[in-house]
Amino acid sequence: MRTVIIGLDGVPFDLLRDLAESGVMPNTASVIADGAFRKMLSSIPEVSSVAWSSMITGKNPGEHGIYGFTDLFPKSYNMRFPNYNDLKAQPFWERWPGKSVIINVPSTYPVRHMRGAHISGFVSVDMQKSVYPSALLAELEQMDYRLDVDSQRAHASMDLFLTDLDRTLDARIKCYRYLWDSENWKTFMLVFTGTDRLMHFLWDAYEDKDHKYHKLLLRHFEKIDDVIGEIADQMNDDDLLVMLSDHGFERLDQDVYVNYVLRDSGFLRFKDSHKITLNTIAPGTKAFALDPARIYLNCKDKYPCGTVTQDQREDILAELEELFGMLQLDGRKVISQMHRKEQTYSGPFSENAPDLVLIPAGGFNLKAKPNAPVLAEKDIFTGKHTQDSAFLIVRGFADDSCVPETPSISRVVSIIENCHN
Amino acid sequence: MHNAKCTCWNCPAINLAGKVDFRACGQSIRQFEKSPDSSQETYIMAECNRRPQLGLFDPMGITFADCPEWVESPYGYLLKNMRVMILGIDGYLGWTLALWLGSLSCKVSGIDNYSRRDCVKERGAHTVVPIARMTDRLRRAKEVLGINIDFREMDILDRENLREFIDEVRPEAIVHYAEFPSAPYSMIDVEHAIKVQHNNVIGTLGLLFAIRDLVPESSLIKLGTMGEYGTPLTGRPLFEGVFPADAVLEWDDRQWSMGGELTPRDPVSFYHVSKVQDTFNVYEACKYWWLRSYDVMQGVIYGVHTDQVAADPMLRTRLDLDECFGTIINRFVTQAVVGFPLTLYGAGEQTRGFIGLEDAMQCITRLIAKPPEPGQYGVVNQMSGYTSMRNLAEIVAKVGRQECGLDVKIQRVENPRVEADRHPFEPVFDKLPQEFGFVQADNPEEEIRRMFRLLTRPEIKQRIEEKKHLILPKVWWSGVKKEVEQIELLRQEKREPVEIVGISRSAKKARELAADVNPIQSS
Repeated sequence: MRTVIIGLDGVPFDLLRDLAESGVMPNTASVIADGAFRKMLSSIPEVSSVAWSSMITGKNPGEHGIYGFTDLFPKSYNMRFPNYNDLKAQPFWERWPGKSVIINVPSTYPVRHMRGAHISGFVSVDMQKSVYPSALLAELEQMDYRLDVDSQRAHASMDLFLTDLDRTLDARIKCYRYLWDSENWKTFMLVFTGTDRLMHFLWDAYEDKDHKYHKLLLRHFEKIDDVIGEIADQMNDDDLLVMLSDHGFERLDQDVYVNYVLRDSGFLRFKDSHKITLNTIAPGTKAFALDPARIYLNCKDKYPCGTVTQDQREDILAELEELFGMLQLDGRKVISQMHRKEQTYSGPFSENAPDLVLIPAGGFNLKAKPNAPVLAEKDIFTGKHTQDSAFLIVRGFADDSCVPETPSISRVVSIIENCHN
Repeated sequence: MHNAKCTCWNCPAINLAGKVDFRACGQSIRQFEKSPDSSQETYIMAECNRRPQLGLFDPMGITFADCPEWVESPYGYLLKNMRVMILGIDGYLGWTLALWLGSLSCKVSGIDNYSRRDCVKERGAHTVVPIARMTDRLRRAKEVLGINIDFREMDILDRENLREFIDEVRPEAIVHYAEFPSAPYSMIDVEHAIKVQHNNVIGTLGLLFAIRDLVPESSLIKLGTMGEYGTPLTGRPLFEGVFPADAVLEWDDRQWSMGGELTPRDPVSFYHVSKVQDTFNVYEACKYWWLRSYDVMQGVIYGVHTDQVAADPMLRTRLDLDECFGTIINRFVTQAVVGFPLTLYGAGEQTRGFIGLEDAMQCITRLIAKPPEPGQYGVVNQMSGYTSMRNLAEIVAKVGRQECGLDVKIQRVENPRVEADRHPFEPVFDKLPQEFGFVQADNPEEEIRRMFRLLTRPEIKQRIEEKKHLILPKVWWSGVKKEVEQIELLRQEKREPVEIVGISRSAKKARELAADVNPIQSS
């Protein structure tokens, strides 16, 4: 019995269902018909680094230690970008028997020794450190393999970006085919991340059938569906096929800047009003935020200018919850949920967790941005992540109760293990 | 410390790994914009080559003062065992710098093809301060100072081997002295002009490509010359490479800001032209490839002393007297030692910037300690003062008389060069003291005194005597082949020479303004 996991980064439950039902993704429709198709909860916060780390380890951030794409060095406000070396829990491929092929899973850079083959996904900056075993590098080069689409191209030309996206997908498909045949694997995991990029830039093109790029967007999903069909056809009856996304997506109306709110209400102060970065946080600061909406209390002994004591913690958290609970734009509440550290995370690394994580209401996209000049604005992006609308499909097991009605992403590994058992 | 607040953004030990845009979960590898995104929407990711355990991080956060790899030195924080490659390590400056940096615990490497030794020999001259063979120099540096220097005999034009060496050493700073440093040498004839320009321009160009491909985060400290600017007769200040932010061009009832634009260059020989060409090549490389460089517009160098070269006779650096390779003060002292009248060209009122050897070493070290930002082409005017040739001759004459009881005469000879021998001169040389913490250590008269003490030693005096016939210029810019003739033997001045102007006018003005604002503090 083998396991195949296909990740569609950022694809929401409703979109996948619509594309399956409308005939854009017929192979996916078949898989859905034969398996359990669920709406799934993403991680808190709902970003790929946290979500995929939770998925591959089966743990919550308090146990695996990844809380976002960014974090701070201990006792400082200096920003770092956590990666696979910071993951404190084992990914499933280091625990499960047999060889694994792991392609393009975000936040698994730099790669390390494992049984099988591993090509890391976003953020991966050096090809040499992104491929295990390194003997694969020559093959990948021949395939014109790209670690990720160059998203900066979208700011210059959407056509250029889409061409690059297409080439990246083509190379990824070549890579999967090569490793599918060349490795004697027990577990095969392939993640498509272009879906997330597309929806950030072109969610409006998905919603608007007359949009210039609507057909191109659908074509991208058709291509992925072809691969899903190809994979499904090659699987044996006793193999398990799992498809999932790491978070959902929806239309983006406005970006809202959390640090602006904190500054404006006196929770956050900077030494130099002309140079507003986390490195210039001033004494007197009670709280600051990291992307997307992780609020940290500026605790004494934890940060260079930290002053908040344990005794003050509860009061400040209550003030923050009141502040953000009342935050409205255009008559709509901006925040839908607030998660306190203690109620959200558990495990040996929960001490590093944000004290409060905000989840935005529909249409609002939360960002930290310390130097934001305004509370909210509209960027070129038209789509944003959602926490409660990822999807999960599991096909190839007998007992339907293996898959909960509303699974969360950190349960996926145990669901697969249960299916195998 | 002048560089305490510099961050990893300046540090050559980082690898700028890529850019990430979390707005769209996007990354862009090695596709940088010219500077970090001030909107804080995207981040540059860096990796530390020395502390890989840090992973990927924002290079704007950690300061030199906070980083354990940067340690305090008399010249600012310096990278521990910083790898510095000196191109032209056998020369007057190169050898001195090698020992100087070695004594600061830098890991020094270098190349040289001995062209300076060969060129001086070609002119029939020799260094008046005897220098040892490179193998002996290296051995003695190890024995006396405990300094290991990784030396390769190599021509900078040998690009393949140079690239191999750079790749092997992975220098964190490269000091580029591997150029022919002589205006008269470049004016001898067509072959010499081509030789100088080919070596200087093509050598530097090849180096830039090697840095781009192999060590793009390394800082390049490139020796230019104040002579690139010429001496504009308008009296326009000689800014440090680029116009200051508030410079304005007015013409036809309109105004344009000139801030940040390269200032005009007006080279005064084919050698100086090669330096100007270098300037543009380095400037463009910084622009195209995000390289980082300081172009050091050095005033006329003089002196014989650093603690390291004085530590042993075999560690001495060279000193030339011939018309091509002898710099003005060094040559004056050799002339005074053997009773050869100090030679002024034309009126002798040409004004130049000067810097002592030890001060030059200090400046280069401070520049190494505060590397430019990625993409930054910085220019410093490296001088500790300026004065006229005639005044210099008078200073040398005075010290010669006082120190050694010499009867020093001064003569004016025909000027073989095409240059104004009376001209306004207003150099700006504020950056090194203001941004790099440079404090002049050399007292010109004291250094000249030290030179007399060394050059009057019998064995050295003898070497000067042997080659004094090479002092008078024979290379005419016009191409005429003849010796210059004496115009006038100046009578001994009764007045004291004036002091070398040791402060830029802009710095003086700034001090005066500060005094106006806060007279108590300034007093």
